[in-house]
Amino acid sequence: MKFAIALFSAAHAPSSRRALLFAQAALAGGHEIVRLFFYQDGVFNASDAVVTPQDEQDLPKQWRAFINEKQLDGVVCIAAALRRGVLNEEEAKRYQREAISLSAPWELSGLGQLHDAVQDADRLICFGGA
Amino acid sequence: MAKSLLIISRQSPWSGPGAREALDIVLAGGAFDLPIGLLFLDDGVLQLAAGQNARAVQQKDLSANLQALPMFGVEELFYCAESANARGLGKLSLDEAQPLAAEHITALIDRYDQVITL
Amino acid sequence: MSTLHVLSHSPYGDDRLSSCLRLLGSADAVLLSGDAVYALQPDTVPFSTLQERAIRLFVLIEDAQARAIEIPDWAKAIDYPAFVELSIHHAKVNSWL
Repeated sequence: MKFAIALFSAAHAPSSRRALLFAQAALAGGHEIVRLFFYQDGVFNASDAVVTPQDEQDLPKQWRAFINEKQLDGVVCIAAALRRGVLNEEEAKRYQREAISLSAPWELSGLGQLHDAVQDADRLICFGGA
Repeated sequence: MAKSLLIISRQSPWSGPGAREALDIVLAGGAFDLPIGLLFLDDGVLQLAAGQNARAVQQKDLSANLQALPMFGVEELFYCAESANARGLGKLSLDEAQPLAAEHITALIDRYDQVITL
Repeated sequence: MSTLHVLSHSPYGDDRLSSCLRLLGSADAVLLSGDAVYALQPDTVPFSTLQERAIRLFVLIEDAQARAIEIPDWAKAIDYPAFVELSIHHAKVNSWL
């Protein structure tokens, strides 16, 4: 079974952890993840600028490790990211900003990538809110 | 055949970027010629209130974007009749949107392949 | 065709649960996660509503354990692998974000 997983809330929201555990369980169950798409406040999961207190679960770090290890497609909506100050080197240069807070394996792209994933997948599972 | 996607928009137009970002998913789907529907539910129906003035709070006018939906190939537009009644909405700004009772919304969700509720 | 509705907000002072129950189809199921598991606090309106409607109800076990919510025998506790299977069992998943 092919899953598209979309996350709409920040790393400090409990739904980020639920999305990660669902994604891990899907792969462990022998399923495929066609894409992870990060929209709205979900873009913060991809931010290199998040510093998690040492005794708390570091979700941005875990997402990054998961995407790298499983070689997944981690796509962050570019419009939502720019609005929230999550920029890769190219966008920082384009808008003349000092702060670069997004790098590989994360990729900035448009909402077409969400639609594309919905078309490819058997199921779309969204996480967000509380 | 392309999979159909229903967006259920539940936020007021003035509660942050949520309503606009839900609409952006719809517009992107329309731009790719995908079968896409939009249902306004709960506070989302407030996006359809007539006579709103975005300039009063220096914002962009969401209702102008809503008017453009049919031009973007998005013709499946619905709103929850009960949500609109509960919020005292009379005349709506989007003539194309059809009112639906709860049982018809159940059938609508059934009809689409996937759904995103924002 | 059936839908798995996923809730994660507390039902107190929020209309997601009531809207979801209004639209719920006869073949649909509901999964309570996060603060939505507070709907299973005994002697509350959400608890009795869910019990009376006799819907197919699932609860993410770790979220219930964290909140000291006991799962009644008319609901089923599930873990993440079961959540994945549940999402496959239904034609679509509607998360109330």
